[in-house]
Amino acid sequence: MKLLHWYYDIMNLYGEYGNVRALERILQKSGENVTVERRTLGDKLTLSDYDFIYIGSGTERNQKVVLNDLRNYREQLGDAIKSGKVMLMTGNSFETLGKAITDAQGEKHEGLGLYDFTVTEQNRSRETADAVFEADFLSSPLVGFINKCSEIQGIAKPMFSVKLGLGNEKGSRGEGMRDGNLFMTHLTGPVLISNPHFLVYLASLILGREPESGYLEYEKKGYDVCVTELMKSEEK
Amino acid sequence: MKMFFTVLICKLLRFAGKLIGKGSSFPGQVALKLCPDILSRVTLPEYIIAVTGSNGKTSTVEMIAHILSESGKSVAWNREGSNQIEGVTTLVLSNATLSGKVKRDILLIESDERFARYTFKYIKPTHYVITNLYRDQLTRNGHPEWVFDALKDSIHPETKLILNADDPLVSCFGADRDDVIYFGADRLSTDTDELVSVYNDGAYCPVCKSPMTYTTHHYNHIGHYACSSCGYHRRDTAYTITAVDLKKGEMEIDGKYKVSLALKSLYNIYNILAAYTVARVVGTDGAKIASVMSDYVMKNGRVITFTIGERRGTLLTSKHENSISYDQSLRVACACEQGCDVMIIVDAISRKYFTSDVSWLWDIDFEMLGSDNIHEIVLAGKYVNSLAVRFSYTDIPREKIKLFESIEEAADYLQNGGKEYIYAITCFSDKGKLLARVKEDQQ
Repeated sequence: MKLLHWYYDIMNLYGEYGNVRALERILQKSGENVTVERRTLGDKLTLSDYDFIYIGSGTERNQKVVLNDLRNYREQLGDAIKSGKVMLMTGNSFETLGKAITDAQGEKHEGLGLYDFTVTEQNRSRETADAVFEADFLSSPLVGFINKCSEIQGIAKPMFSVKLGLGNEKGSRGEGMRDGNLFMTHLTGPVLISNPHFLVYLASLILGREPESGYLEYEKKGYDVCVTELMKSEEK
Repeated sequence: MKMFFTVLICKLLRFAGKLIGKGSSFPGQVALKLCPDILSRVTLPEYIIAVTGSNGKTSTVEMIAHILSESGKSVAWNREGSNQIEGVTTLVLSNATLSGKVKRDILLIESDERFARYTFKYIKPTHYVITNLYRDQLTRNGHPEWVFDALKDSIHPETKLILNADDPLVSCFGADRDDVIYFGADRLSTDTDELVSVYNDGAYCPVCKSPMTYTTHHYNHIGHYACSSCGYHRRDTAYTITAVDLKKGEMEIDGKYKVSLALKSLYNIYNILAAYTVARVVGTDGAKIASVMSDYVMKNGRVITFTIGERRGTLLTSKHENSISYDQSLRVACACEQGCDVMIIVDAISRKYFTSDVSWLWDIDFEMLGSDNIHEIVLAGKYVNSLAVRFSYTDIPREKIKLFESIEEAADYLQNGGKEYIYAITCFSDKGKLLARVKEDQQ
């Protein structure tokens, strides 16, 4: 199997590579031969070659650079989504797929237009928060961290419901978006390390069968500690 | 009259606060309530030196104060590291006369990088040192470029910038300014051609976002860089580390001044260089600085040697949520030739706010602990499982690693087993839990 860590060296706010390492390991443990390709700006790619594609979170400036590169892939990305390819986009990377991003200076950057949402950035306050999200396809909540300065308007059916943290826009209790097997969330960092159940879920979609998950002992304990701590903090 | 009372009240609160051991930001907070523009009403010294950056602020400020005091200058500085506007207000007013005059040769301010724009709205630094901008407390800071933008707003056009030339993002502050003083290191014996780090924050030019190349790396993305497209490059330095021998514990500045090092880390030599640069700019003689800084042991309690049972060790206070700070501490342990054990504690991620985000563990180059001189690795604290997962993605054999959720039990284990020297690496928020179990050396 081939996994693509796209824009690995420019969309990496922190620790995002952990997501690809986690998938690589679970697929290997499940008996697959796995190669990970790390590709970036300017590389010529055929997206249909890959079994999984990941893009992480970046700075606002880096996201605009990547947006320009992604324009070459508008059609390929559309096809990948239609074909049901498993893809994960975390942080501000998925903002590029909407109609437009208006930056803090008021400049409007046209998006890929695969979805109808629009994005507005500001430079006054950084919006950061620990997060607990629920999803109808997961039996227990997702934990993680949000680190952004943007709001996303026009996502009618968000992927998660926000128990703690920030939604797509101010006042919204919905976060991220799912379209078939494309998962988009503003969570940053190694989401699939912190959430072994989400890892297992994605791996099962890629494999078309249940993956090996018996080795995830510390991941599960780490997840339990995180959930407990977050719930404690919320009660305060 | 308003000023008189504000200064008086601030002084009284400071005095009372010291008696009961309270922090130094409260008096300033009250003063700012009473007189919001108090900082623009006071008369400040000829030299106002500000220091900011992700890492090394507190140490650099302490070193500058030490050098300048030793060379006969009177210095007002925030030694408790209360570095937001309230703490700075306390600092200024408690050093002022009741008529609002700061009677010191130099006002030396450590400033929090995110709040500098508020602090320096009223106080115009004559010199502004920026040490570095790293991935640091991203749960509050966003990311280094976000901090860069916030800091940029705090820089007055008349202020003379003193910048780390080896940090590509920090050097950007000097673009379009012609009187910038750069400090940095020549190619050193400890340098590497290739990047040694989990990530590369020097991959792309901070100005035009084209790929950058390095001719040498001092550590992580700190080194000699050049953009392949717009021509942005590492600037020539006015004050320079010309050689370093970490084994011997000696650095050489400007080709002639030798400083022997109490702490043998690259971090330390950068802090010393920054302090040296400021002292030179203020007019201190280079030889004098070198002699004053030689074997200088920091008073800020970040490096503590101790005994536990029969064993000796050093606590290297590092910053959670700051991978470069950890990398530097890990390097100190790895350089220990006679071999050592390493303890890492992650229990409370911050002492100031709550978060349970451990993404930053993935940016730390733990892989280096695979070196043969590291015998055992003891991981401890509430987030021990997350540490265990992180280590499972290194090549370090599982048998080398011991896990303890309880710091008490980890300390028992260290006390009763092994003879190796111990390097304990953790943050301000967690170090007390270990120190409660050891006997600290007298400083």
